[in-house]
Amino acid sequence: MAGYILRRIVSTIAVMALVGIFVFLLLRLAPGDPAAMIAGRSATEEMIAGIREQLGLNDPMPVQFMRWVRDMLGGDFGTSIFAGRPVLELISQRLEPTLSLSILTMILSVTVGVSFGIFAAWRTGGLVDRLLTAFSAFGYSVPVFVIGYFLIYFFAIKTHWLPVQGYVEIERGLGPWFEHLVLPTVALSLGFIAFIARVTRASMLEVLSEDYMRTAAAKGASSYAMLFHHALKNAGVPILTVIGISFAYLIGGVVLTETVFNIPGIGRLVVDAINNRDYPIIQSVLILTSGLYVLINLAVDLAYTLIDPRIRY
Amino acid sequence: MAISRRNLLKTGIAAGAAFSIPSVLRAQTAATEARTVRMSMSGIPSIFDPVITVSQTTTDHAAAIYDTLFALDSKFMPQPQMVGKWGASDDKKTYTFELRDGLGWHDGNSVTAADCVASIRRWGQVDPGGQLIMERASDISKKDDKTFTIALKEPLGLLPNLLANLLYVMREKDADKPATEAVTTNIGSGPFKFNQAAARPGASLTYDRNDKYLPRQEPVDGLAGGKVVKVDRVIWENIGDAQTAIAALQAGEIVFYLTPPADLFPAIESDPNLELQVLYKHGQDFFLRINCLQKPFDNLKARQAMLHLVDQKAFLQILSSNQKYTNTVTSFFGSGNPVSNDENTGWFKKGGDPEKAKQLFKEAGYAGEKVVILQPTDWSDASNTSQLLADALRKIGIDSELAPSDWSGLVARRSNKNAIENGGWSIFITSDTDFARGEPMTTSHLALNGEKAWYGWPQNDEYEALRAKWADVETVDERKALARKMQGIAWDYVPEVLLGQFTAPIARRKTLTGLIGMPDIVPMWNMEKA
Repeated sequence: MAGYILRRIVSTIAVMALVGIFVFLLLRLAPGDPAAMIAGRSATEEMIAGIREQLGLNDPMPVQFMRWVRDMLGGDFGTSIFAGRPVLELISQRLEPTLSLSILTMILSVTVGVSFGIFAAWRTGGLVDRLLTAFSAFGYSVPVFVIGYFLIYFFAIKTHWLPVQGYVEIERGLGPWFEHLVLPTVALSLGFIAFIARVTRASMLEVLSEDYMRTAAAKGASSYAMLFHHALKNAGVPILTVIGISFAYLIGGVVLTETVFNIPGIGRLVVDAINNRDYPIIQSVLILTSGLYVLINLAVDLAYTLIDPRIRY
Repeated sequence: MAISRRNLLKTGIAAGAAFSIPSVLRAQTAATEARTVRMSMSGIPSIFDPVITVSQTTTDHAAAIYDTLFALDSKFMPQPQMVGKWGASDDKKTYTFELRDGLGWHDGNSVTAADCVASIRRWGQVDPGGQLIMERASDISKKDDKTFTIALKEPLGLLPNLLANLLYVMREKDADKPATEAVTTNIGSGPFKFNQAAARPGASLTYDRNDKYLPRQEPVDGLAGGKVVKVDRVIWENIGDAQTAIAALQAGEIVFYLTPPADLFPAIESDPNLELQVLYKHGQDFFLRINCLQKPFDNLKARQAMLHLVDQKAFLQILSSNQKYTNTVTSFFGSGNPVSNDENTGWFKKGGDPEKAKQLFKEAGYAGEKVVILQPTDWSDASNTSQLLADALRKIGIDSELAPSDWSGLVARRSNKNAIENGGWSIFITSDTDFARGEPMTTSHLALNGEKAWYGWPQNDEYEALRAKWADVETVDERKALARKMQGIAWDYVPEVLLGQFTAPIARRKTLTGLIGMPDIVPMWNMEKA
């Protein structure tokens, strides 16, 4: 196991290095100039040239790359070209909203999605199964912004039960924090609930048709025991996989939801940074999220051994 | 598990309680919200130094926290603001300015003449008007803590106007920084204080009333007069999505939205709590900028053809679905300025004159050269009008091609002076405030000085000789006369072509009143929230 983890960590570092080189080259080769964005639409060439010099953007590309790698290895992810503040500080400010939204979404999605999946598999072909299948198709196909605007209209504008937009830090009270996250969480969860429910249903159906399940039923095992002790544990690996992928995806990219509900998270930070050509932010976020993605996948792989003892590394 | 009625009831009560807790908390904070104005501007600045950038958000930020030596009134005439007594020597070569009493920085120190001198020097490195002052000045220095002078090599009648144009006074230690290095301290002497602790970069910015600010005694008039703050706090929310911003306005979470898109005007107009309001009635003038160095537009006739080709009404329909907020504009100096005029505007014809344009291209010897239009796809107004322009050119037989990119890509390419095949360009579309067109000394794209000119690099020495005089004359009437002559030359030379004027309204809740309508800036003083 220890050898396996070590190998995965080494491969993670290699992946991040490749991502770093790729991102750096892509940004520098793409048209656009942060100095021009800073200077404004009516700026003169002299203004832009002065800012480029100040930012060190006139240095040769290898010099800029080596400077970035050297600083990053020293724990310095650079300073935002636009905000003039350390990138890590900006990312940490944006991490809380994104993590809050991601965790609440995963809790809701896993709870509801797995329950739906189990129930649909248990009553396969019945009315409930058909309804859940229809819901899954709906959850998959309706874009998050459509659901978002719909929720805003009914729960914020019409009834004033919940706020339209914004985010309140958890330190300012659990109530306001939760209040601002209800609608985005629901909007974002629908797709994930559908996804997790479908995978759970398929996985459970496969397990429920196994011989040992028939044996358990013949021996008089209760429905609860059959579903949760025997079936769910053995159906767990694919479910855990999609949960892991979903969580990693959520942390890296909830841009639309953050935009619709005006949540200042990582997604919006990156989009703003791309529009402004704020290289240090884009590079750092991509490096960190790719590292996080790989680590979540590693955690999921290790979790397999807990639910299925036959899996060994 | 069967769900009993009792369990259902308990669950319902628990859920109700959970949802009601936030509402109770919201009600408790209502009192502090009463004198807080929440606004959605056109984004929020991440660069806070108005010398580094001329972007709208930074200018608005600077107007809130910094003060100015002079300020423009509603007729665009400069009036003293931080300055108390001032005057020029008999030979008009030395100006003396004395600061009014009670001016203080947000850090508690007093504003001094040394701060003003340093601020003028730093601003003078980058602002076109400031550069003119620096060229003409033989000395800018403080005389005592409250007095400073500007000594000139030759008279400069435009001096107070130039000092009134986006010159924000900073502390000497901030203003001593290079003009390319951003000031990040946000300590001003203006009517609002920047609340650094409450700032959420990229998400929201908070401004608190500066209780120690002493407004001028004159009534507010444009940007001049008493800057009286009538609220305790202003918060700028960065709401990226227009639909969400309108929803927040309808729900009362914000009370002001600077840039509602035209397709959402009906939703605003149908809400009895909301109102659309044009703050600056002459808005933005859209124009296409021509590359005068490359074929076919290195030829005068080809550039003149563009004047006849453009149908402003058609372009305005693209800029706004609601024609109530659009106007045609024919003067090189905009439609709402003291120097706007109708000299040499015979080319304007409703619907354009494509046949005349075709004939002029022929006279220019057009031989099928490709016309490349830089199309900024992340700016819908300029992107859509670029497509219409390309189509209009194709219809008269001009080989036009769109070069799509985001605005940043466009900016990178527009500095390329080479031919099309070497990465050059022919045309791009942009906009500026109508007001900016009234000031040829401070607006880069109104200069026709060749290599030194703005992108497109037009050159006309006759026009430039007249522009040089602009700075010397003192009266509006003299400038009007000059403007007529300059416009006559400009519309013969054609460095750019006007596409029309869009007077974008803001959206606000009716409870927010007292907004000041001036170009470039959305002042936060004088507003009241009922």
